[in-house]
Amino acid sequence: MFASKRLGKELGKLHEHIAPGITLVSAEDLKQWIMDIRVLDDNPIYKDQVFRLKFSFSNSYPIEAPEVVFISDAQHPIPMHPHVYSNGIICLDLLDKAAWSPVHNVESICISLQSMLTGNSKNERPPGDDDFVRRNTRRPRDINWSFHDNDV
Amino acid sequence: MSPHLAEQLKQKGNSQFNEGNFDKAAVFYSQAIQQYSSNPLLYTNRANARLKLGLWSEVIDDCLRSIELEAVNNMKAYYFLAQAQFELRHPNEALTSAITAYDICSRSLTQTSSAFAIATFVIKCKRAKWDLRERDRLRRRSALLSELESHLTHTFNNDLSEVDQRQQSGELGTIGATEEKDALTKTHEAKISELRSIFAIADPGNMAKREVPEYLIDAISFEIMHDPVITKNGQSYERATIIEHLKRNPTDPLSREPLYIPELRPNLALKKACDDFWEGNHGWAYDCGVMTFTMMMMMRDWSFWDDTPFERFWFRCICPWILRWLLRTS
Repeated sequence: MFASKRLGKELGKLHEHIAPGITLVSAEDLKQWIMDIRVLDDNPIYKDQVFRLKFSFSNSYPIEAPEVVFISDAQHPIPMHPHVYSNGIICLDLLDKAAWSPVHNVESICISLQSMLTGNSKNERPPGDDDFVRRNTRRPRDINWSFHDNDV
Repeated sequence: MSPHLAEQLKQKGNSQFNEGNFDKAAVFYSQAIQQYSSNPLLYTNRANARLKLGLWSEVIDDCLRSIELEAVNNMKAYYFLAQAQFELRHPNEALTSAITAYDICSRSLTQTSSAFAIATFVIKCKRAKWDLRERDRLRRRSALLSELESHLTHTFNNDLSEVDQRQQSGELGTIGATEEKDALTKTHEAKISELRSIFAIADPGNMAKREVPEYLIDAISFEIMHDPVITKNGQSYERATIIEHLKRNPTDPLSREPLYIPELRPNLALKKACDDFWEGNHGWAYDCGVMTFTMMMMMRDWSFWDDTPFERFWFRCICPWILRWLLRTS
């Protein structure tokens, strides 16, 4: 019941000010938003690329984390990253229910993803990407991630 | 008098209630009360059913009877009472009852999920109370404005007739009189418009000056706080929302260090600041802004909508009025 209220307020703030490299593409309703992000440095892996994110919110947001995935189309590829599967599913601790904190918001998630990309030097997919993409039918929130490295 | 039979009837009432048959549930509770009239729960249950049926005065009767029987820990009775009082447009009474319910709830060791609903309701009552006062203020203000305007107009008319007299006595020619009258009219119009703009500045439509300060806003719900609590790290949150988070994940939202519900402490100074804000004549800028924005988003899709005088009139005059009305009733 307070998800829509809080999202309304976040939206109001985003229209006033938004961090560099982040664009609000659409927030048609208070259930699903589309955001674009790009890295701010000249990391060669992501040079001149813009990535598109889909946020899906439950009624318990922000007590529960939103579901965030990269989506691809002709202009927006899925970024190469050892924590991003080629179907757009992201393995990031703060999006997992164990590490999510309700003080995060859409903008801060975008900033975290920006810095996750900026800090990356491996132009590769996670191990077992093909297999995961072929077999996974679960939604990201139902996957029990194990975070085995914290250095990427 | 049979407490046992009453209990059976109460169970029947509860199962009807859970199926959504509130009128049938109320009948069973009434029969239970006939069997055993000193169980406060029977009255609160019937109040809850009657609340769903919209029988506000009956809800109040039941709640008061229930509170008479059990005053100390009767959180539900106060909460239902508050809702009925709110519906009957008594926001002051509703707020008092809601705060009593909230206090009982926050004192109980098992922080039930009701705490969250009650905290939200307390905010709603505060808003309604504030709005009622704001409406009175507006009414008084417009009375004052019209009185001042009539004084100005009175003086203006006197000045005009004085010019007429001087013209009749031959002191002024026709052209001179017309010029003098034009000058008087201009001065008068300027005075009226200045007076109106001074009142307009004090108007709640001018919301920029009435923003809720950031430090009174809960970082989780983005609402102004009613019962702020402080963590070990010095950050404050609304009690009900932080507890909702800690029940799922006992870590500090900012530092991710372990944090348990008993470690939260009330932040009395901040509570005082929040209360002062409510008492002061501040507005709902935080909400109004968002609502206006949402409303404009909704209307943006209507194809006939573009930049016409009608549209400007709509957004400047009608929208703020609708918003005020919505905030009063929602």
